[in-house]
Amino acid sequence: MKNAIFGTLIATALLSGCNQTSEKGSGDGEKLVVGATMLSMQNEFIVNVSDEMEAKAKELDVDLITVDAERSALKQVEQVESFIAQGVDAIIMNPCEVEASSPAVKLAMAANIPIINVNSETSAKPTAFVGSDDTESARIAMKYLAEKLGGKGNILIMHGFMGQAAQLKRDNGAKEILKANPGLKLLAEQTGEWDRAKGMSLTENWIQSYGSKINAIFAHNDEMGMGAVKALEAAGLKNKVIVVSVDAIPDALQAVKKGTLDATIFQNAKEQGSKAIETAVKAAKKEAFDKEVLIPFQLVTKENVGEFLK
Amino acid sequence: MPPTQNLRLTKFGQYGIYLAFLILCIVLAFSTPRFFTVSNLLIIGTQVSINALLAFGVTFVIITGGIDLSLGSMVAVTGVVAATFAHPDTYPLAVPLLAGLGAGLLFGAFNGLVITKSKVPPFIVTLGTMTIGRGLALILSKGRPISNLSDSFNFIGGGNIFGIPFPIIILIVAFIVCAVILNKTVLGRYMYAVGGNEPAARASGIRVGNVKMWVYTICGILSAMGGILLTARITTGQPNAGAGFELDAIAAAIIGGTSTSGGTGTMTGTLIGALLIGVISNSLDLLNVTSYYQQVVMGVIIIGAVVLDGFGKKD
Amino acid sequence: MPDFILTVNQLSKSFSGVKALDNVSLNLRKGEVHALMGENGAGKSTFMKVLIGLLAPDSGEIIFEGKNLHDSNVGETLKKGISMIHQEILIVPELTVAQNIFLGREKSVSGKSGWLWGWLDDSEINEKSEQVLKQLGVDISPKTKMKYLSVAQMQMVEIAKAISNNAKVIIMDEPTSAISDKEVEMLFKMIRDLKAKGVSIIYISHKMDEIFRISDTITVLRDGKYIGTKNATELDQNSLISMMVGREIGQMFPEGNTAINEEILSVENLGKKGKFSDINFAVHAGEIVGLSGLMGAGRTEIARVIFGLDKSDEGMISISGETVQINSPLKALKNGIGYVSEDRKGLGLIPKMSVKDNITLSSMNRHRKGIFINTKREETATAQMIADLRIKTSGMDQKVTHLSGGNQQKVVIGKVLLAAPQLIILDEPTRGVDVGAKFEIYKLIRNLAENGMAIILISSELPEILGMSDRIVVLSKGRQTALLSRQEATQELIMKYAVA
Repeated sequence: MKNAIFGTLIATALLSGCNQTSEKGSGDGEKLVVGATMLSMQNEFIVNVSDEMEAKAKELDVDLITVDAERSALKQVEQVESFIAQGVDAIIMNPCEVEASSPAVKLAMAANIPIINVNSETSAKPTAFVGSDDTESARIAMKYLAEKLGGKGNILIMHGFMGQAAQLKRDNGAKEILKANPGLKLLAEQTGEWDRAKGMSLTENWIQSYGSKINAIFAHNDEMGMGAVKALEAAGLKNKVIVVSVDAIPDALQAVKKGTLDATIFQNAKEQGSKAIETAVKAAKKEAFDKEVLIPFQLVTKENVGEFLK
Repeated sequence: MPPTQNLRLTKFGQYGIYLAFLILCIVLAFSTPRFFTVSNLLIIGTQVSINALLAFGVTFVIITGGIDLSLGSMVAVTGVVAATFAHPDTYPLAVPLLAGLGAGLLFGAFNGLVITKSKVPPFIVTLGTMTIGRGLALILSKGRPISNLSDSFNFIGGGNIFGIPFPIIILIVAFIVCAVILNKTVLGRYMYAVGGNEPAARASGIRVGNVKMWVYTICGILSAMGGILLTARITTGQPNAGAGFELDAIAAAIIGGTSTSGGTGTMTGTLIGALLIGVISNSLDLLNVTSYYQQVVMGVIIIGAVVLDGFGKKD
Repeated sequence: MPDFILTVNQLSKSFSGVKALDNVSLNLRKGEVHALMGENGAGKSTFMKVLIGLLAPDSGEIIFEGKNLHDSNVGETLKKGISMIHQEILIVPELTVAQNIFLGREKSVSGKSGWLWGWLDDSEINEKSEQVLKQLGVDISPKTKMKYLSVAQMQMVEIAKAISNNAKVIIMDEPTSAISDKEVEMLFKMIRDLKAKGVSIIYISHKMDEIFRISDTITVLRDGKYIGTKNATELDQNSLISMMVGREIGQMFPEGNTAINEEILSVENLGKKGKFSDINFAVHAGEIVGLSGLMGAGRTEIARVIFGLDKSDEGMISISGETVQINSPLKALKNGIGYVSEDRKGLGLIPKMSVKDNITLSSMNRHRKGIFINTKREETATAQMIADLRIKTSGMDQKVTHLSGGNQQKVVIGKVLLAAPQLIILDEPTRGVDVGAKFEIYKLIRNLAENGMAIILISSELPEILGMSDRIVVLSKGRQTALLSRQEATQELIMKYAVA
């Protein structure tokens, strides 16, 4: 019993200490409140988007409540439900899954609260979409590879988590380019689960199988791309194999600058974050807004990497 | 029951896992010429090293009748801590190493302390510290990977000595030390006693709490070694690294013959268990098996190995 | 042979070449209690398993009510009327008494039994169970959950289950091993009632006095062979033992010539709330002090406090005249107190470890070099102990679970002795140990005393207490009611104080 009371005290103390995302500030009724649920705050890119949303919200004097769905679509739907219950003025959702996060969109639409999908899509149509077309990122990356190889060579593709929207779209884009370049041969494709260590192990095993036959690797994200670079360097093959990946995380930019990673595809986290808030505010105020804000990808190579390094 | 009756089966069962491992290797050697090359074997060794270190730690824990679910989180915390001090031209190499190992030691000792003092089952305690650890890793790293580490630090994960990857050297040394602790020290003997029959161990004058404290602390240190190795291998301290590692480590220990009810288990068995898992995932990549099938095949082989191992182990 | 309900002729059974049963015969009369005796490994349990259809015999026949039982399985023999009450009672704790009695014979509304999707109707089985229990004179509600019953009550329910099955033969395997003396009396009354109703009982037990009190006929097995069948009145304890062991054991309890030396342990006003209070006695070097009393009198509880497994609430313990605080077994061992628990499996052995590892477990401090184990010293000590205690084992690396009960007990004693105590508490040291090994343990205890060890002996067997102890502390419901010398103690006197 004593322990139970003690435990409760500690828990309460901890909770009050950690309560950073303050609750809806009552009193100043004029201020707009926007609720945001993010795919995962353990993902660097998402954290960057979220940071920019935070900054933009401050600039526009909007209250932003950010919650982490921890990659669970179920949790995300529940979070949107509680946003609706709190009566927020707009919702920004960074969907966990194409299908499973869709109910959240329908709920918000039914409650007449504008909902903006950021970064990735759901099958249900939201009020607006802010993001980039993942298919395009893979097209850019593969086109770069094809060009570098002169349209001929052996390619390995490292997938993200199988079945996720980003993986499916990047795969579609990559396969399109592959079809257009019959000289490119797909040696093998396998998932590295977005993870650097897994990407590294997978590349090590590939090197065992195919050795010097490998001409290029396309990784669905930079984490795996960095893992591939590490494995190739260790095997002394880096200068023979071209590696391209997507996201342009700081690590990858550094690697491009050093020349170990040949190219990465810049997905503009800042633009996505700020446009998401802007669109949400416009929708909440019933002003005119674009239903689809597509932020273009940019190819980052050694030549232009300086623009992206801060 | 009478020992003569199923002696043959018991003997077979004792070596079942080794047999399973051997059969698998032979099959692989014939199905892909790439498997039995020195370079591939070294790569398997390197890939296995992190899981093996964790599996050694959790073997101690399971022998005493406990469980540790916080392994993966400890990997993340210790990796982040080590990376924080491993930037080039800041501290000498010893600092990130000692900081990482120290973090693992403290984390493990905390597990042990709560388990012995609170009498809450280890499953629950370490389930809690698993989440705490993940949170700590995110707090310490502010949710972002810590990169730009010194070359000397990265050598731990990627360097070679006489052509042997450094992680393999760490793996071998850790294996020897762990096997010696388990078989040759009083502490090791007491671990078996505590797991075999805790009340009887206490009645034999063993300080059961002390034994458990040590076991969880050692497990923490081994997890820290895993965390440092991982960080140096991917040259980044990642707060979300190591998720799910505990399951692979526990699987290795159990495949290797460690009984979940405590009191039995060997380091050699665990090493074979870890190698088995490593060989399977390596060879499935070599054979270019689609990832959907990989998971099914992995599950089937794991159950198969344990079934083969389970013969005659009824008592 | 008119009245034989069950006849077993020339039964043989072997396991991978080893004959477990070799031409065993048995004739069971209607309404008799037939004791089956033999040391552990004599073939009793194999015989029983064949009888109830769990094992098929290699040769021989079993005739029950004039019909051959050949090829029957357990379910069929049960239906025909042979039931067995197992030593480890097989019940489902979460089910009620009635549900346990009718387990496997559930009544469903549709009347079909054994159909998994039947709709259960417990009213009928509750009624029937109540009848059977009343008939047996047992006062338990059929709706009580099994887990709330005492071991003795569970046994009664098992018997009720057999009766409700229309059992004509009931086999009881060590039915008194876990129940109190008073409950034994209840059981015996029930057995006599069953006899009067014409039910035959096959009774297996190690306890000599019980056998002579309850049985009409005694059959002895040894090494799987049939040795003989006698009327109980034709035998006495010594002749029965020699039939079982195959040789004259001579005197069961070795004579002692104990010169009492300095005081080792004394307890003063020792008490623990709800368990015992005001206990006062001393033990001297070379002396055996018996602790006697009925089950629940507080014997084991006192031992646990002296050994530091539990805490006392009042009084004090002195070792060699100095007051000590004993709050853990480690502290007790450091003070030279060793404890051989009655609960050999729970508190004595580590079943998964070898003989050697068990024996040296309490004395690792003398078998170490720094943090490492000194294997050589450990092996020498173990070999010595195996020789001294005459432990029968294939080697010191044999797992303890493969040893017989008596040898396991010796391993536990060896472990405690290696910790080099000056006082050893033996709690029911011969429970579950067969006659031959019992005698050896008695000799061992006597030897230890002669070499100056102080000994506290706890036993529920009065002959054991009387035969071994120099002085006897008698307990009743947690109070010390007498401290008797060897000369004045008799069975009657102890019983008188034990129920005082």
